[in-house]
Amino acid sequence: MTVLEQKAALRSMMLIRAFEQALARRPDHGFQLLSSGEEAVAVGLCSVLGDQDQLLTGGRSIGPALARGLDPNRVMAELLGRSSGTNRGKGGRGHLADPTAGFFGAHAVVGGNISIAAGVALSMQLSAKEAVAVILFGDGAFGAGALHEVLNIAASWKLPLLFVCNNNQLSVSTPRSTALAPRNLSDIGLAFGIPAKTVDGMNVEVVAAAAREAIAPVRAGQGPAFLETISYRFASHSTTARETRSRVELEEIRARCPILRQTAALVAAGVMGEDEAAGLKREVDDVVAAAIAFSDASKYPDPTEALVDVW
Amino acid sequence: MSGKAQFATEKIFFREAIARAVREEMRDNPRVFVMGQDVGAFGGSYREFDGLFGEFGAARVRDMPVAEAAMVGIGVGAAAAGYRPLVSITYMDFMMLGFDPLINYGAKLRYKTGGQLTAPVVVKTTAGAKGQGVAHSQCIEAWLMSVPGLKVVAPSTAADAYGLLKAALREDGPVVFVDHKRLFPVAGEVPLAQAIVPIGKANIARSGTDLTITTHSFMTRVAMDAATLLQSKGISVEIVDLRTLAPLDIDTIAGSVKRTGALLTLEEGQVTCGVGVEVIARVHERLGPVPSARVGALPAPVSSNRVLELACLPDATRVAIAVRNLLNPVTASPRPVVSSGER
Amino acid sequence: MFYKISVPAVADVEEIRVLEWHGDVGHHFNSGDLVVELETHKAIVEVRAGQPGVLRRILSAAGNWQQIGLPLALLSDDDGDALPDGPDAVTDLAVEFEIN
Repeated sequence: MTVLEQKAALRSMMLIRAFEQALARRPDHGFQLLSSGEEAVAVGLCSVLGDQDQLLTGGRSIGPALARGLDPNRVMAELLGRSSGTNRGKGGRGHLADPTAGFFGAHAVVGGNISIAAGVALSMQLSAKEAVAVILFGDGAFGAGALHEVLNIAASWKLPLLFVCNNNQLSVSTPRSTALAPRNLSDIGLAFGIPAKTVDGMNVEVVAAAAREAIAPVRAGQGPAFLETISYRFASHSTTARETRSRVELEEIRARCPILRQTAALVAAGVMGEDEAAGLKREVDDVVAAAIAFSDASKYPDPTEALVDVW
Repeated sequence: MSGKAQFATEKIFFREAIARAVREEMRDNPRVFVMGQDVGAFGGSYREFDGLFGEFGAARVRDMPVAEAAMVGIGVGAAAAGYRPLVSITYMDFMMLGFDPLINYGAKLRYKTGGQLTAPVVVKTTAGAKGQGVAHSQCIEAWLMSVPGLKVVAPSTAADAYGLLKAALREDGPVVFVDHKRLFPVAGEVPLAQAIVPIGKANIARSGTDLTITTHSFMTRVAMDAATLLQSKGISVEIVDLRTLAPLDIDTIAGSVKRTGALLTLEEGQVTCGVGVEVIARVHERLGPVPSARVGALPAPVSSNRVLELACLPDATRVAIAVRNLLNPVTASPRPVVSSGER
Repeated sequence: MFYKISVPAVADVEEIRVLEWHGDVGHHFNSGDLVVELETHKAIVEVRAGQPGVLRRILSAAGNWQQIGLPLALLSDDDGDALPDGPDAVTDLAVEFEIN
């Protein structure tokens, strides 16, 4: 990454963190899945995507949507149910979408977006676009039949599809080790004959480098690839789910913060001072405040909207 | 142009009507493509895709491994991204595996994205019992009728298969096209000129005065046979072939029942929460109570055992008996009696 | 003596389309010769002569449809015999049919 890119990555992660914290503080925050702790995965991944690429995600969509460059105003409005949101307030976090911005969308069904992403990849292949579809899912989806069916077909058809499994090692309350037989999730690449790798998901530059390496053959038409990122979420699964980890565990996890790490790395490398870091923080706080203000000034949909766009 | 030329027809097999519809749409629009098991060189389990692989090649006529969830999802995703796939599910029973991508994503896509995306995908599938056993015989189209955002069509003739499939491939959202194992041996007249059968329009397949039978798919043929039996007893039945199950053409159905005064619904699937009970409820909402009854399969799985399969399914004799039971007590009764058949 | 070929009773078939006659009126068929190809909804049926005969009248030309059991053509032992009025009193020609 260039210095500019490094700073942009830091800012992007800070934006996600600030955005989610502001959202979570509101009494009307609704049912949310937050990416706190996992920002490096979304930001590192999106740093290698082009305008023509499409990103699809599961329900933990806020971080990826912001990392992809969606307007924070419209994302906040969507999360708060306003008709000025990306989905006119009708999808919410589970279905955030802005395909013109390369975010084909979130889908709240665990593993449900994987076959959809393969369909998007197929469309790119059929129209000979030099574009890639990327499907971001968690370890919770790794046991789903859909993943295995789609890996098979994608490998068979050499679809331009990048599978990114963000393994934060917990599926609500179930640890990866009790749910999944493979120790190393990227080993699945071997079974289907596709390139696969596992990397540290708490380091944005490691993620970016791995994503760049993984996506290159996919873009060149050589077929799909699989990337596993190991990460930790700082909060419970969702705003309604109970936390299962101890305070000591959580303190240890928070010490791995990708934002603190990237800040320290840039300061240590001498390319950014503490003041500049603080300046970035103020910038993103302003962006978030504007998003909140935009949403609060926006209307809820009219009840008649309930019957619009059904067919 | 002479009116005669417009209505000129050719007699073709049911499978040829399907192949013709798909071929015309594929020629007309390069974004239409086919996915399914045995659809390529094999030409489809019923030869319903004969010739397509030869003309359009492997990129547009794609053989799939057995993986209905992925197949439907890939079709829905490609549709959302601008293509018009036809996903062929050989046995309707296995549509169940594709319900998540079809119903949770495809049918809800336009709504959940606030109109940004839509999935113009056709899932074509073959329903019905024909000696293939409990998990290869089901008619579950009724399950799909209540899904907001999903249209469901079910032709009973070669001409309607041709016209409805063309229409389905031009829709802007997901459509399930249900044909039937027992329709494939049937040949029928199909217009020579390209023609669409509009979605959402039922057809009065037989005019009559004493009672309306609403039905669809293969049971339309059973209804016609029952009508012949009844005619010899002096009973005149009108048959409304639904053609589209969602959205139902209540105008045509209610118009017919208003004239005849009695309604019998006929389906091969289960009557519980079936097509018929929805028709009856809507007709009653429109016209008030009219004598009504439902005929469908016995409430049991349909075995491949020939004796048991025959015992389970409606046939012309049973339909005729049900009609006569519904029309008794005849005339003298001052108020219409609302009845719902046990089957 | 006159004979008729009728549409063979193929399982699960109600009617067929005549695809191709392998000989015109007047053609002498030997035993085993392919007389006509019929198309069902599933497959092609090859109808072969089980005895020699002369094709005297085609009742269902190529492209036409016919129901199972109904007559397709009249044949005779010799080409001199005068044609009967209709196929009703006519014996069935021995045939073998093969479904492909």
